[in-house]
Amino acid sequence: MTAVKTTETAAPAGGTTPPALPPAVTGGARKRRRRGGAFDRALPYLLLAPALIAILWLIGFPVVSVFVTSFRQLNLGELVRGEIVWTGIDNYVTVLQDERFWTVTLRTVVFTVAVVGSSVGAGLLIALLMRALTPWVRIALQIAMLCAWAMPILASTTVYQWMFDQNYGILNKTLVQLGFDSFAGYSWFSSGTSTLSVVGLLIVWQAIPFLAFSLYAGVVGIPRDLYEAAGIDGASGWQTFRAVTWPEIRSLLMMVTFLSTLWDFKVFAQIWVMREGGPSGESTTLSVLQYLEGIAKSHFGVAAAISVLMMLILGLITFQYLRRLLQTEEGKI
Amino acid sequence: MAVSGCGTSTNSGSGTETKEITVWLMDGSAPTTLTDALNKEFESANGIKVKYEVQKWGGIQERLTTALASSTPPDVIELGNTQTASFADQGTLMDLTADAKQFNEAEYLGGLKDSLTLNGKQYGVPFYAANRTVIYRTDLFQAAGIAQPPTSRAEWIDAINKLKAANASNPDFQALYLPGQSWYFLLSLLWDEGGDVAKQDNGKWAGALDTAQAKAGFEAYKALYDASATKKAPADTDEAKPQQMEVFGTGNVGMMVGLPWELAGAVKAKPDLKDKTAAFPIPSKKAGSTAPVFLGGSNLAIPAASKNSAAAKKYLALLSSKKYQEQLAEGGAVPGTSKDTAKLATTPLGKAMASSSQNGKVTPVTPKWAAVEAGQNPLKDALTAYLTGAKSLDQATKDASEAVTKAMG
Repeated sequence: MTAVKTTETAAPAGGTTPPALPPAVTGGARKRRRRGGAFDRALPYLLLAPALIAILWLIGFPVVSVFVTSFRQLNLGELVRGEIVWTGIDNYVTVLQDERFWTVTLRTVVFTVAVVGSSVGAGLLIALLMRALTPWVRIALQIAMLCAWAMPILASTTVYQWMFDQNYGILNKTLVQLGFDSFAGYSWFSSGTSTLSVVGLLIVWQAIPFLAFSLYAGVVGIPRDLYEAAGIDGASGWQTFRAVTWPEIRSLLMMVTFLSTLWDFKVFAQIWVMREGGPSGESTTLSVLQYLEGIAKSHFGVAAAISVLMMLILGLITFQYLRRLLQTEEGKI
Repeated sequence: MAVSGCGTSTNSGSGTETKEITVWLMDGSAPTTLTDALNKEFESANGIKVKYEVQKWGGIQERLTTALASSTPPDVIELGNTQTASFADQGTLMDLTADAKQFNEAEYLGGLKDSLTLNGKQYGVPFYAANRTVIYRTDLFQAAGIAQPPTSRAEWIDAINKLKAANASNPDFQALYLPGQSWYFLLSLLWDEGGDVAKQDNGKWAGALDTAQAKAGFEAYKALYDASATKKAPADTDEAKPQQMEVFGTGNVGMMVGLPWELAGAVKAKPDLKDKTAAFPIPSKKAGSTAPVFLGGSNLAIPAASKNSAAAKKYLALLSSKKYQEQLAEGGAVPGTSKDTAKLATTPLGKAMASSSQNGKVTPVTPKWAAVEAGQNPLKDALTAYLTGAKSLDQATKDASEAVTKAMG
């Protein structure tokens, strides 16, 4: 900017001087100024570059590596010998031709939708509830949720296993005490659907604190007088929610839904610890399938192909959100 | 300076003489007294230092993979015997067929020799093994009027019924604690009936769980499971969920099929069990003989890239000698390179283990087996489906057999 200004002011001044001289002088000055300007402009980026490259490498390298590996035949032997065997799209063909992959994909998508739907729903209800509670009760609830949130995944998974244990579990014992005698020795892990329901409940339980806290932050930011105005207008609870709360927290709700989808789609530890994707592989999701191929069978190339496909599916599921996210970003800038 | 001074004195001949070998043994595999004495004897006899490193089991597959891929791997390693085939198959282990004599080859148990043989070549030396026996409560047996431990499957079921009758007043009592997925025990019954998990045909492995013999093994499992009729033993988990030693440790269990460390765990939980427990070999359906058992244990091997293989072989030879094998047996393990189990047979459990180990077997020796065992084990799924009635015997074994074929194909 300064460079342009100075040359502009220099030009009228140079109008009186002999015609041969000014172009050389002004041209030289312009060039020098420009060079300095380009360097000045590039300097911040140059200073940033090492950090930027390091970050991009750290984030990007694993992704690129997975992508590249998915086109290689990489079993234990190739890994130990350090061989590189390219197989083109063979890994993808293997995965896509396996009908089990499609069953598992469908199961994973249904599971994700169910878990995300219930956890976001429950989180929202608790957030709205917290607004209505007296401070002491709210603090008690928040502490309880913080404790649940702080609990390590494997610890809470183990507790759930005990609760749902066939013979010693507190759930079956309680149900029997309540008169449901058929639950004596009832196995909650006898089918894939039932196993995934237990896992789903566990994940919802683990996810609620984060969702409730985030949404509560949004709810609390809505000015009180809006509700008062709605009350004066005679709006019902539902109408107030639709007209006042919803527009304010909509984008926040979309963001936490998006995050939950990312997390729940690739959940592994809880499913694996609970029943290793059993019985008979009926609670196997995509991340479990990937583990079975990669770690149990040492077919790292095939496992990488499954990872890439998982990213694609996740991209498809969250396509709408990503599009909106990009659009609003552009609109703002 | 001191190092170079040392080097010149020993390094007079060739430039590649070994000064040190690296030995990796696993945590808890051999008593420290044994390894200390062994390393000392080796060092003074050969003038070669032993860099002895104890490895943890957790993550050992990854650590071995990295170590074997490097240019300076350890010189002696310990491998689980079901892991050996897959490492040998990748060309990472040294072929020891020609040297097997100096490692007491004639004394290997059949099952252990199988575990380190791939395509007719030997890739290791058996280290030690352990197998399951039926651990029982002597006081409860006495109270139920069972004079002698059972020696056939029929007698065993008879003993279960007697124990049940004698303890009918205790609602928590379980004559035999047998969870539904104790698949190593299923192997015993399968093998006892003449069946197997998989068969090799023209180099291709295929599941063999749908044969009449294998089905008879499943039926035998169900007969025992039903006879013990302990609704407390879950049909859909294995002996580790919950740990069966903890269940045995409650004192309400008459018998369990387990390993030595499981008895030790139960005794730790309830110390007075120490003098009230003994063991007998898993009985065969044929009276008077014992059923084949799965021989779990370790092999020792030399990485193919080892630069000190001559010294490593000397080390293995020394470890294979009678003196150290006896110490292993004394420590409560089935020794790998000696059929002499006299030192093991000094406790009731050791005696039962020693006698059944002669009839020990291993899972199919092929790199593909890992996919069956490490993933979703079809044997476990078949057992649960059959025991709970979710599938018929024919359907459950057919599905499992197909799953094994797929995993090993």
